[in-house]
Amino acid sequence: MPNQDILVIGGGPAGLEAARSIGDLGYKAILIEKRDRLGGTPDEASYAALTPDLRSAEEAMNAMIQAVENNPNVDVRLGTTVVAAEGSVGDFKVTIQNGKGKETLNVGAVIIATGFQHFDPGRETQKYGYYEYEDVITLVDCEKMLKAHRFVRPSDGKKPERVCFIQCVGSRDRRIGNEYCSKVCCGIASKEAIEIRQLVPDCKVFIFYIDMRMYAYWEPDLYWKAQEEHKVNYVKGIATEIVKKGDKLLVKGEDTTLRRPFEIPMDIVILSVGMEPSQGTREMAKIFGLKQNKYQFIEAVGAPMDTVSTSVPGVFAAGACTGPADLEDSISAAGLAAMRAIKAVRENGTKKAS
Amino acid sequence: MNFDINSTPLDLTGEKYRDVPYEEKERLFNEIKADVRFHDVLYGCYECGVCVAACPSARFYDFSPRVIAQAVAREDVELVYTLMNDSIWDCSQCFSCDRCPRGNSPGGLITLMREVAVKNGLETAKEALEGYGRIIYKIMSTGTQVSPDMLQPNAFPDWGHHVNEIAENLDLWRRALPPETLHTVETGWSVSEKTIIELYLIWHMTGVMDMIKEIDEGLFMILQDVMEERLEDAGYDVLFDE
Repeated sequence: MPNQDILVIGGGPAGLEAARSIGDLGYKAILIEKRDRLGGTPDEASYAALTPDLRSAEEAMNAMIQAVENNPNVDVRLGTTVVAAEGSVGDFKVTIQNGKGKETLNVGAVIIATGFQHFDPGRETQKYGYYEYEDVITLVDCEKMLKAHRFVRPSDGKKPERVCFIQCVGSRDRRIGNEYCSKVCCGIASKEAIEIRQLVPDCKVFIFYIDMRMYAYWEPDLYWKAQEEHKVNYVKGIATEIVKKGDKLLVKGEDTTLRRPFEIPMDIVILSVGMEPSQGTREMAKIFGLKQNKYQFIEAVGAPMDTVSTSVPGVFAAGACTGPADLEDSISAAGLAAMRAIKAVRENGTKKAS
Repeated sequence: MNFDINSTPLDLTGEKYRDVPYEEKERLFNEIKADVRFHDVLYGCYECGVCVAACPSARFYDFSPRVIAQAVAREDVELVYTLMNDSIWDCSQCFSCDRCPRGNSPGGLITLMREVAVKNGLETAKEALEGYGRIIYKIMSTGTQVSPDMLQPNAFPDWGHHVNEIAENLDLWRRALPPETLHTVETGWSVSEKTIIELYLIWHMTGVMDMIKEIDEGLFMILQDVMEERLEDAGYDVLFDE
């Protein structure tokens, strides 16, 4: 009897949605998560409010987690990793490992939802001094402060008077090797800028950018809102370097549309770090023998018309493991991956049974 | 924003106008923002340049309606003060810039900025309006626009030598034109007594006379004399109590 169970790897937004969808349609999903809790990056990185609607990330993720945990068709394995895989569609043998040891699962299809990791701004952009200056932080660090409702200068806990975001850190950079746009950072920076203005109304907030990429409703809901209602200053021009001056950080750059160089003292500089494939994504690509693109994301070989099929039949990928993705992308792709995986195990079952 | 380097946009370097303390610049800026029309002329600017592309002045001067909108939207108090002392007077107020996709009206914003500059008696506003005294006098005293008798060489030196020819035989030229209304060299057309009284009242009640007084005391006094007599005849003599 061919196996109709589906293995979902990764317990973030895409993995949770895929597992829930499979369960809802009456098939069995085994959800593997290497951390000891579900929720993925939004949980691990302590996201405060989601982009674009500013809904509480914790609340939104808890709803997704509960939908999986309350689903009798979903078997959740926490603290578990995939260490080996063999076989083909309808008959994969996947070895998993956890505190109790190794186990080999028989599944008909696999959905990989191992996501991304944030670009490490110390990797190639030393000009911003992320590891040198305490008050140079990332979108993720900022998110943690916003979640605690306490936005202060990290070095001395003082209320900031002026802060800025620097966009495209680790993205759109041939020298670094990440030529792609990370898609979400413009929206997240604008969202965080709004939250900072709400938390510290006297604090001036600047966003230094190359292009603002606020697609669809992010334009009125985030960009225009930040600019018109919250007086966030958008300056087209990227900072070239940051130097320490007294207790401030001097940000040097060019205001390209006003045609003048600038040097502005800032209390906090927030680096809008982009997305790179997570360690898990790289490992799964190797274990399952999946084609990766030049940036090491898993390649969706049928894109754009098929966003979830990989180079191996029966193995699907959803969310940010295939490239920079926002929540809408990840959730949509996860539902599609669930549907394609079910189709794969059903077709295979029919063929083998006849 | 407060840039700490003293570089300026466009060609606005040099001491063309009096510098004032930051607080004074902020006061002027807040006066612009407090105008009831402010929220209809400025939302936010994403610097697309549509307004500049449409702007006739931008073709002839180092002038950018985008920079005006941008500076005010960014609440760049220093730059707004700079622009109020120079750039805003390069605008011809044609409102071609009203095609802004964000719904801004840089021209409308400039109107507000000019009004604040005039009301506060900025020297640069006085200089910019110096050449218009004759036109303002004509419009405000007669209620009609530029009239033939203004075509004098001293008033329009930039019109070249033809203005001399025209000015010499002005009355003849005008009589050669068929429409009845143009058979005068003093006004463009006749304005009824009722209309001119209403115009005088509007200019007094809406603060236009106060603005003239701020910008050109001499012109104010001449206009006051002209208007006083006609308004008194119409029974409005109380208006000129100082």
